[in-house]
Formats: sequence, C-alpha cells, structure tokens
Amino acid sequence: MRNERTGHEMNRGAERDGFRHLVDDRVDEGVFRVDRAVYTDDAVFQAEIERIFEGGWVFLCHESQVERPGDYWSTEIGRQAVFVMRQTDGSLGCFINVCSHRGAVLTPLKQGSANVLTCRFHGWVYDRGGRCVKIKNEELGYPVSEGARERFNLQRIGALDSYKGFVFGSLRSDVPPLRDHLGAAARWIDLLADQGRDGLEVVPGCSTYVVHGNWKLQAENSVDGYHVTTLHSVFAATVAQRDARDTTAGMRRTESGRIKGKVPSGTYDLGNGHMGLWAMHTTPDVRPIYEARAWLVESLEPAEVEWILNRGRNLYLFPNVMLMDNPSTQIRFVKPVSPRLTEVTVYCIAPKGESDTARAARLRKFEDFYLTAGMATSDDAAALEAIQDGSLGPPSQWNDMTRGMDVMVAGPDRDARELGFEAAASCPDWEHEGMFHGFYRTWLERLEYGAGGAPRPSENGAAGA
Amino acid sequence: MSANGIDAALEREVAALISREAMLLDRRRWEEWLDLYAEDAVYWAPAWASEEETTSDPETQLNLLYLKGRGRLEDRVFRIGSRQSWASLPLDRTVHVIGNVLVERAQGNAVEATANCIVHVYGKKGAQTRGSRYDFAFRRIDGALRIARKKIVFIDDRLEGPVDIYHL
Ligand code: FES
Ligand SMILES: [Fe+2]
Repeated sequence: MRNERTGHEMNRGAERDGFRHLVDDRVDEGVFRVDRAVYTDDAVFQAEIERIFEGGWVFLCHESQVERPGDYWSTEIGRQAVFVMRQTDGSLGCFINVCSHRGAVLTPLKQGSANVLTCRFHGWVYDRGGRCVKIKNEELGYPVSEGARERFNLQRIGALDSYKGFVFGSLRSDVPPLRDHLGAAARWIDLLADQGRDGLEVVPGCSTYVVHGNWKLQAENSVDGYHVTTLHSVFAATVAQRDARDTTAGMRRTESGRIKGKVPSGTYDLGNGHMGLWAMHTTPDVRPIYEARAWLVESLEPAEVEWILNRGRNLYLFPNVMLMDNPSTQIRFVKPVSPRLTEVTVYCIAPKGESDTARAARLRKFEDFYLTAGMATSDDAAALEAIQDGSLGPPSQWNDMTRGMDVMVAGPDRDARELGFEAAASCPDWEHEGMFHGFYRTWLERLEYGAGGAPRPSENGAAGA
Repeated sequence: MSANGIDAALEREVAALISREAMLLDRRRWEEWLDLYAEDAVYWAPAWASEEETTSDPETQLNLLYLKGRGRLEDRVFRIGSRQSWASLPLDRTVHVIGNVLVERAQGNAVEATANCIVHVYGKKGAQTRGSRYDFAFRRIDGALRIARKKIVFIDDRLEGPVDIYHL
C-alpha cells in the first residue's frame, strides 16, 4: 500500500459557511461550476460519510451473492461494517457486523455460509437472525435470567430492501421507501434485470482497485461520454489493429463505433442524484445478449427491447454503485476511503442460463475494457488521478459543467417517455454535462439538510431548469 | 537425462528463458518479448474468487487477463507503444526478480515449470512491490523453447495503478 499523497494539499476549510458556496449553480446566467475542493477537503468528506453514506440508501449487494439460507455477504455502509444474511425463510436480513461483547467484526470472510456466526474472540454465538444464542461460560459471569441475552442481539440496520435482485440498505430508518429513492432510475435497473429469463447472477471472480482520486470522480466518469473519443481513442485504435490482424478467436468482434465516431446518444438526470448515459450500438448483433433477442421481443415492451439491444448504458445510482451495460455488464461498487482515495470493486453480472459462448464473450469483453488490467478503465483511473492532482492548489478552483446546457430540457424527452421514466432532465448528447447538475444538487441538499435521503426543495429550483 | 526427462541442461535452459522474459519486460524490449511466445500461446492471470481462491475456469469466470493467442499480447504492446494510453505514459519502471524455478515435467517437445516472481514497480504514485506465482508450459519449436502457456497468480488483490504485461 502506497502512502497517500497529502503533502501540499490545501484544505480550504470548506464548511466555514456551510457547503453551498462549493456549487455555483446559476443556470439562468449560464453558470454551473463546482469548486474542486469537493474532491480534496476533509470537512466535505467527513460530512459526506455521515450525511450521505451513513445517512441514506446505499447499494449493498446482488441477491445472487446470498442465494441460499445462511449465505452472508460482508460490506460496509460508510464506516460501519455490516453483513447481509439470507434468512432461513428465504428473506434477507442485514445486521451490524460487530460482536455485541467487545466489538470484533464477526464474519471471517467477505462471502460465506453459516448456520451461526461465532465470534472468534471470546466465542459468543449469533444465529442467522442476529439473536445472541450463546455466551461462553455465561453462568459464571452474568446473572442468568430468561431473556438476558436478548440485549446482546445484533442490531439490524435501519432499512433494507431490494429491487429486482439489487439489494440496498440504510443505517437510518427515517428514509423514503427504496422505490421512491430509486425513482426514475428503477426503469434503468429494469433494462439490466429484465435481460435474464431467470434473473441475473454475479459471475465468480472480482477485482478491487484503489484510485488516488475522490469518489465523486468515479460518479462523474461513469456518465461522462465526452472523454470517450479522446481518452479511449487508443482503445479503438488497438481494437482496429486487432481486427485487421484477424486473430479474434474466442473474443467476438469488439464494437468500437461509439468510440471512434458520432452515434445517437444522451444523458439523463434521473433525480435523487442518479444519472444515466446511453449511446447507440453500431453493431448490436455482436453483443452477448443478442442471442436472447427472440425471447426479449416476446416478453418485453418494444421500447424496452430496443433500449436493451441497441443502446449501451451506464447507470449511476447515488451514491455508491454503477450498473454498466456497454462492452460488457458490470456492477461497479465504490467505497470512499478518504477525500483522495477510493476503493472500487467490480463484478461481472450476467443473465442466468445464457449460452457458454455468450458468457465467455461477455467475460472477454469485460477483461478487455474494464479492470485496471483492462485497456480502458486503467486509462480512466489515470485520468481521474490527474484530476485529483490538478485540484490541489487554490488557483485551480472551478470545474465547469455547462456543456450542452442550452439544449438540455427539464423533464423526460421523447425517448424517456417511450420507455417510461420520469427523467428530471434530459440531454440529447452523451457529451453533455447537464446530468451533473442534478447530481451536485442532490449532493448539496444531503450535505446541507443532513441525513435521511429525502429530497428537499432546493433554493435552486427544479433540476434541469 | 534422468528418468523423468529432466536434466540439468534443461533446467538451466528453462531458468534462463524465464529470466530472459523478465529482463526483456524490464528493459521494454517488447518485440523480443513477443518472440518468446508461441503463436497460439495462452496468457492467463485469474482474478480472485474469494480471499483464498482464484478463479479456475476462464470460460465461465472472471480473470484479470485471459489472452488467447500472441495477437492479444501484440494488442498490449501496440497500446504501450502508441504513447496514447494515459495509464502507460509515463511507463512505470519495473524490476522483476525470478526465483524458485522448478522444472516439473518434460516429455517430447513439451516442458512444464513453476517459478515465483517479485516485481518492484515505481510509478507516478510511488513504489510498490508485488508478487506472482508462475505456471509455465513450454513447447520446443525449431529447436528453441517457446512459451505456450503462462498462468500468473498475482497474489496482490487490492490493486493500485494499472496492471499490464510488464507489471506481471
Ligand atoms: S468480542 Fe466477540 S465475544 Fe468478545
Ligand atoms: Fe472511460
């Protein structure tokens, strides 16, 4: 592990008068810019952890990662270790992953299966429902009475729910229902979840990497189409020389049309900080999902089929996950470590029961593009680290996010209405930056008004004005 | 020649080849590095499936790298040489140190060996040292041993910076 680079960083003391001054939101005057201190400031980061990550809904895992009763998945909500446990009755539980005795994290592994969790320190035992069922040598140390162990039961988190297999949780209970939190973004989850007749599954194997950049750079990057024809032109060139060499055994042709040239595309502010990006595939027939075309056509509405088959999509779900369906299908989980350090874990997610050739092609495309061993994501990570480095000094204060502002529209455009989602704002080109306005407005509301995750009316008016 | 087909000369030849690959990567002699690989070579670095196990079936599970055919290695060299890859400009400096070379099997033109490798990397964000276990399969082609298969168990998991052919 390398040392974090903190040397000449300026802490601009961002909370001196709240956080509002960090987002210069004057769209009526043609201005939308964000102070780069949002990437570097310790007070901002502290508030984000408390009010965003520990104060509302976050993504936890996919249900296929806790398939059978007793399967558990360990993760964090903000700083808090938690685990999701498939209950005996098939429902899901999520508990604080900390022994009630003296605080040791309970689960021995990231993912496992257990009838009971026995603390490895002094041997207290918890059942799948979090009940403390055994205290070692209890009778010698505590006044034994019926139900005395109950006060040591594991705490449940405040709220837990899933949408089409994607599991979300909140430490706080005073949050809106998950469906309200997801809002328009739920329809975008459908576009991934509806691809499998029997649902989706996370494919074995994952990769965790550390990026020396703020977590919000991950969020921005996931829906930033503007960088593709520059940063990833080398990916397109690499693929072009590959195709020319005609040695594509086992890979299937890689689609580089979107990287090289102009295709129909767009971005959406999906409300509550969620964002979406899409671009038309130039050769949809090379995509692994194409084999399911007949079934999709007969099972889903035409608009949904069209979006699934023809449009590459990245969905960012505020605050900590991206669901991507572009060269391959990915869950990208984001964990902020410090203002300047983010841990990212990526998983391939795929329709259950797809053919072996489709699965292999999906994996090869994943490895080709994503991962820090891939030939695109590694360049993204380097670019984001350069932004972090460029944000350190006071003279480089503002990030401009006005591109495409004149042509963005409030509410859903025609495409959005056809598929059926209430976008807060629609941008007709993936090179446009209007969706960032919604992201930073939600971000600011959460920092200003604190926890809970309920969107509140903003002084700035409706998103996408 | 011993009963299992492994003799000291073969052991020296294999150790020299593995060290030579490391040297060519450290000195960025990419074309010569490519020449060490058979046309149909498989270059495989599995991902970790859990804290203790890597993935084991590239057709159904995720990998860091699963490159089938020397062309996939040429892709990497092309990208590095383009000077257009942000992750590869400036290129990280590397030193590979090879150890524990053991020839496991030899039969006809096929040879298998294992080795360990420590790679010290220095790049934009500082220095780090990482470790790998190598499983090699070689094939003798026109008298010279070529790499037919290289499996790299990259023991580090929480990865910092890019992971490319010269990091492994
Ligand atoms: S900390 Fe778990 S039993 Fe003591
Ligand atoms: Fe990118």
